[in-house]
Amino acid sequence: MQEWRTMTPDPILWNDWHPVAARCTLDPGRAHHTVLLHVPLVVTIDAAGTIIARRNDGAPLQQCERYGLVWVCLGTPVQPVLAIPEADEPDRPPVVVGAIGVRAAGPRVIENFLDLGHLGYVHAGYLGDDPQTRVLPYDVAPLPDAGVHGGLIATRCRMYQPKASPAATEGFLVDYFYKVERPLATCLYKDNPVHRDRFDVIYLFVQPVTEVTSIAHPLLLCLPDGTTPAALRAFQQIIFMQDKPILENQRPARLPLYDGAELPIGADRSSVAYRRWLAAIGLRWGVITATEAAGAPR
Amino acid sequence: MILYDAHHLAPCYAVRLLAGLLGVPLTLAPMDVYPGHDDQTDAFLDLAPAGRLPVLIDGDRVLGDWQEILAHLALGHGPAWFPADKPALIGWLGLARDLGGSAGLARMIDTFGAAGDAAAARAEADRLLDHAERHLWFAERAGGQWLLPRPTPTIADVGCFVFIAPCEDGGLSLRDRPALRRWCDRVRFLPGFVAMSGVFPPMANTPR
Amino acid sequence: MSANDGGTFDAGARPDFWPDFWPGFSPGDWYAIAADHDVIPGHIYRTTLGGHDLAVWRTRDGTVQIWRDRCPHRGVRLSLGEVAGDELRCQYHAWRFARGGACTYIPAQPAMKVPGTIHAEVWPAAEAGGLIWSGIDPQGAPPALPAGTVVRALPVARPAAVVAEALAETDWPGLALVVQPADAQSAIVRGVATDGDCLAADRLLRALRRRIEQNGPEQNGGERGA
Repeated sequence: MQEWRTMTPDPILWNDWHPVAARCTLDPGRAHHTVLLHVPLVVTIDAAGTIIARRNDGAPLQQCERYGLVWVCLGTPVQPVLAIPEADEPDRPPVVVGAIGVRAAGPRVIENFLDLGHLGYVHAGYLGDDPQTRVLPYDVAPLPDAGVHGGLIATRCRMYQPKASPAATEGFLVDYFYKVERPLATCLYKDNPVHRDRFDVIYLFVQPVTEVTSIAHPLLLCLPDGTTPAALRAFQQIIFMQDKPILENQRPARLPLYDGAELPIGADRSSVAYRRWLAAIGLRWGVITATEAAGAPR
Repeated sequence: MILYDAHHLAPCYAVRLLAGLLGVPLTLAPMDVYPGHDDQTDAFLDLAPAGRLPVLIDGDRVLGDWQEILAHLALGHGPAWFPADKPALIGWLGLARDLGGSAGLARMIDTFGAAGDAAAARAEADRLLDHAERHLWFAERAGGQWLLPRPTPTIADVGCFVFIAPCEDGGLSLRDRPALRRWCDRVRFLPGFVAMSGVFPPMANTPR
Repeated sequence: MSANDGGTFDAGARPDFWPDFWPGFSPGDWYAIAADHDVIPGHIYRTTLGGHDLAVWRTRDGTVQIWRDRCPHRGVRLSLGEVAGDELRCQYHAWRFARGGACTYIPAQPAMKVPGTIHAEVWPAAEAGGLIWSGIDPQGAPPALPAGTVVRALPVARPAAVVAEALAETDWPGLALVVQPADAQSAIVRGVATDGDCLAADRLLRALRRRIEQNGPEQNGGERGA
């Protein structure tokens, strides 16, 4: 069963783009070895800055560079790398946070990013604080103008945050909205403590390594508020590293898409919509489908 | 005192943790070591020729070794944490350093893609963790709580904790090491405890 | 090999669905899963029995709670959480669960009356002979071991059936030993020393483990420690 799963590439992910490295972490003196959808890759950069991604087995792949990240498609891309309009705004160049390995299924990592209820506990003192942990009602809808598989948007999300970003000097009620644009690509738009009329944008791209192991590539498009790129990165690394033990301790490791596997509440509207959407588009990677669950013991 | 610091590096965390436990304020100078290389700049290497974090500046003294910094803080602010007359202290601080090259290395490889052999690092860490588990189990049976047979913890507990508590980030397991898990809880519940990502602090508003 | 190259990850080692039955593990039996002293006040002990992760803790009056180590909400191991008085709090969303497993409070929706359908999965629990026992549907009373001192548990990276067979090959004077089947590839030896000599028992058991682990092919997926 497991063997069969690993031999059959998921067509949705196989024919999409995934980040496999960041330019700023590549080193001419050391090849970067990584794995995408069970396929071992090596990414090199030469002294002139030319980046080449290769499969270890020599089979062809497609490669491009956007937002400081190196993107690879192993199959035939059905659409280009995700467009991020904010990346073209001159006052907020994309900041690469760096790759963070996590022993968790890609869909679990995305779902956690959408989750509001954990902010006061996993990110206590930063993105939330007990007991101000009530999740106010918010809306989830299909994402307009999305890619070939559609997507989701969650709006009217509000959370009290003691330190919403490195520039925040006091807690405030933060407005958010989230988008899921690809099965393993999500972002949030969040109030900036200085620019009250624009939003900081935080993307999370998940590189699927195996079905239950992933590499997170967060990308920041933050407004100038006096915070250095290094401080922005450090803050996001702190946040993501707080999520890592949670993600690595979720069982089953793959995200269950069938009813009754886990017990959502109203605050989990995003997560419920994400699971339903993955089931509807037929994603098979990093998930347990209803069909598989029906055939399993217990 | 100024601490040149990177949040995720366990040796830096050891200094922040001991400072928290001692109630000693530190001014943090954060360094971007990944993806940046702040620790390889000329300015930093002039200050700390070994190019290692953390570095502590205390007046005109520059301390560039994390265990030296622990000893320095303890001598100045809590001598009970540094029982210099106990040879076992050296042994456990040595184990902590070895954990850095094994459990700590595995964590850096798995999390940030650092160079190294993760499987070999984990094999070595398993050996060291087994040793610490066995020691603490027998210590508990004899009424002890800490690595040294003393009523209060020492810098050896701090030095080992910063690698053991987050070791599952690096693919190791504490499941079958119950004495280590209990000892980690004892450290977490010490007054003044501070966390690092990957180590959960005690939850707020919990009746105990 | 690293997380970033996938080399140390084996997707197949920990299946998402475990069978209830395999050699050395049967649902009608009691198994020792901890020593009394493993489960101290305010602490959540974790172990695995027959492939099922368990979280073990005590209420204020000392009553042992053995629960499946999984929050019903989003699947996070409860042993990552915290004991809060007579309740256990999950680390992820701080849902609280009381003695008997019922969820009592959901901080994200504090005004909501928690539906009775939300509860932790409770496992049978018994304390006997200095050990804590559980099982899927254990019949009767846990096995009676001779009086003695509980020795340090020794995990072995081999299946329970292999470990039990190796134990049976030797006489263990002064020791009464039982095997906890952990997952399909590992087991934990527990027991009591009737003479109270835990150091000697530990030496014997560690030597036994070295012998067992030297034989046979290296198995993947079992966790190994202590």
